Amino acid sequence: MVAGLILIIVLGYLFYLSFGSSVSYYVTVSEFFARGTELHDTNLRVAGEIANNSVEWNAEDLELRFVITEGGDDMMVLYRGAKPSNFKAGSSILVEGKYYADGVFRASQLILKCPSKYESLELE
Amino acid sequence: MAEAGHIALILALPVAVFSAVTSLVGARGGSGRILASARISAIVVFVLYTLALAIILYAFFTKDFSIRAVAEHASRDLPAVYTLSALYAGKAGSMFFWGWLISLFATWLVIQKRNNNGQGILYALAILAIIEVFYVALVAFRVNIFARHPSPPVDGFGLNPLLQNFGMLIHPPLLYLGFAGFAVVFALAMSALITRSAGNEWTIRVRHWAIFSWCTLGIGNIVGMWWSYNELGWGGYWAWDPVENAGLMPWLLGTAFLHSVAMRRQRNYLQTWSFYLIIFTFVFTLLSPFITHGGIESPLHGFYGSPFPPYILAAMLITVFGSMWLLYRRRDLEREEKPASLISREGAFLLTNVILAALVFVIFLGTVLPQVSEALGGMKIALDRGFFDRSCGPLMLILVFFMGVCPVLGWGKSTWRSAKRDFLYIMIAILVINAAIFISGIGRWYIAVVTVCGFPLFIMFQEWYRGVKSRHRTIGENWIRAFFALINGSRARYGGFLAHIGVILIALGVIASSFYSLERTATLDIGESLNIGKYEFTYQELRLKQDNVKASAVAAMLVSKNGGMAGIMYPSYDYWFSHRDHFAEVAVRTTPAEDLFVSLVWTGFNPEDKSATFRVLVNPLIVWIWVGGGFFLLGGAVAFFAEGRQLDSAEG
Repeated sequence: MVAGLILIIVLGYLFYLSFGSSVSYYVTVSEFFARGTELHDTNLRVAGEIANNSVEWNAEDLELRFVITEGGDDMMVLYRGAKPSNFKAGSSILVEGKYYADGVFRASQLILKCPSKYESLELE
Repeated sequence: MAEAGHIALILALPVAVFSAVTSLVGARGGSGRILASARISAIVVFVLYTLALAIILYAFFTKDFSIRAVAEHASRDLPAVYTLSALYAGKAGSMFFWGWLISLFATWLVIQKRNNNGQGILYALAILAIIEVFYVALVAFRVNIFARHPSPPVDGFGLNPLLQNFGMLIHPPLLYLGFAGFAVVFALAMSALITRSAGNEWTIRVRHWAIFSWCTLGIGNIVGMWWSYNELGWGGYWAWDPVENAGLMPWLLGTAFLHSVAMRRQRNYLQTWSFYLIIFTFVFTLLSPFITHGGIESPLHGFYGSPFPPYILAAMLITVFGSMWLLYRRRDLEREEKPASLISREGAFLLTNVILAALVFVIFLGTVLPQVSEALGGMKIALDRGFFDRSCGPLMLILVFFMGVCPVLGWGKSTWRSAKRDFLYIMIAILVINAAIFISGIGRWYIAVVTVCGFPLFIMFQEWYRGVKSRHRTIGENWIRAFFALINGSRARYGGFLAHIGVILIALGVIASSFYSLERTATLDIGESLNIGKYEFTYQELRLKQDNVKASAVAAMLVSKNGGMAGIMYPSYDYWFSHRDHFAEVAVRTTPAEDLFVSLVWTGFNPEDKSATFRVLVNPLIVWIWVGGGFFLLGGAVAFFAEGRQLDSAEG
């Protein structure tokens, strides 16, 4: 009984410790803008689609700039690091990072979903 | 032809229902004819299912693109070996194969001679038949794997290049073997609940199946890590993605179950607890397809637009409520004994069990929380890898430490005297090594590594040495002979030792590579180089070539270590015409101390400007993860055959 209680407390503490810095809100581009400035400077995962003709890849400085779009809203994204191999306009993407007042989302990680054309054949 | 396969599958459905009904009637004391029908119908389901499998495999191997599943996942240029991967790359194919394994195992139970008596087996058969009905109904009616393509293409779409890898060839079937095996363990457990008998023979049989399932599932996960490391190009092997967690959680629960059943054979502890564990192991094997088929959103991989999740969720709920009801009915059966002292082998087993369950609890919460918070009306949240690292890491370290304590703790109660005898020299040895590490300044985390991993390793070697020495003294066998005779004499124990050594080696690789990995990304022109640690990588040449399948850019990277030439590595960057997408092939150079990992992540395919972006990692001790996997498999196999032998002798 006592051991169980201690365990629950320890677990709860571990969970609490781990939780704080790891949690981020998950929104789409339009949901983000619908909330005004509320989500500025917070850890976010934003879902959208890489806009056509928006990709600027500077290989020399490892700087990737692009725009993600969803629900009629656009967001500028800056990512420092290698361009993911399956990165291209039209793909669905999750960008992880923070949005700052200068209007640019600084992404620390890019998560690409497999392009929708994989699905196009999978009709039900 | 394909229609024949579909018909075979449809026919299997009523036969499986019939098998379930006759098994139930037979178990309640039916006549010999009913018993015979129960057995034969289980075999007929398997035969029909195998026929269907043979037909779909034939369609895959002959590249019959008039069948949609073949057109979507195979292509003319797909090498024959990977045709098998194409089968389970599809959502219907994966469930189809899994269902087939369950029918195979049910037949296995039937034809084993020793199972001919006892109603327990009949209840188990009935439960397996019900599970089969579920799978057959899904793949025969919900997503028909034999469905024709509305307009058959000349060539198929082809298999995702990332899946064209040996690891991905064996990773899914290993997982499915484990999952299907745990279904058998679950069925045996439920039959014991219904018949209210769980004798010695039952325990051995359950352990036999549990070891098999636990071992295949564990190896399946390790192969998945190996694939992720060698194919995906991000330099890691575990991302705490929901799909990965889905394979890990049932394995952890199965591990707890195995340990609690090990206890049961020696003492009468943990009865009800074991039943809870196997019930949830089985439920979590269902959670896995629930997640991979999109029931929980995974950012990385999974099957798109699969209709299965609601059905799987229903099956999970029915399983939980049904088995809880059974457990409730038998609550009067056996009183639990409490361990006399926590400082005993029982106490350590108990703690191990609790920590394993706690681990699963944390991983489960972390996996489903993002989804749940949205369902509860809050904002959708996401958890990053750090959450899992920080919450699971400490628990896993405690587990590894316990592996060292358990083997030397006696049943009942341990004394300080015996503890001193067992631990003193090892503690001194660890202190000395740590002092050496501290002085040499390799890195402070290695002190933790040596303490946590070295302790259990040394304990096991000491136990081994003691066993061999006593045989050598008393029986007079030479050392080598005594070593093998010792393992042979108590295979379950030493199988466990080997598996534990495997897990400790994996922990070693994981800890070292988590804390001491070096990473650099840079864009280089021909002739330029980048430095990382004591290595220098010089970009020498880029070869562009093209065939029918892909256009490749292969870079030659000259590697030198401390100024001396160490070799050339060839990472490549491919454009696949079928998928209209780029895929990187990483180059890995393995030594016992560290891996060099080079991924060519971008180049313009321009003969004039060959500048290219490379990601380079130096990952220490990674190879020990795969070596640990080998020990794990060896240990599982030794224990498995030990149980098999016991099963034979238990029935005379």
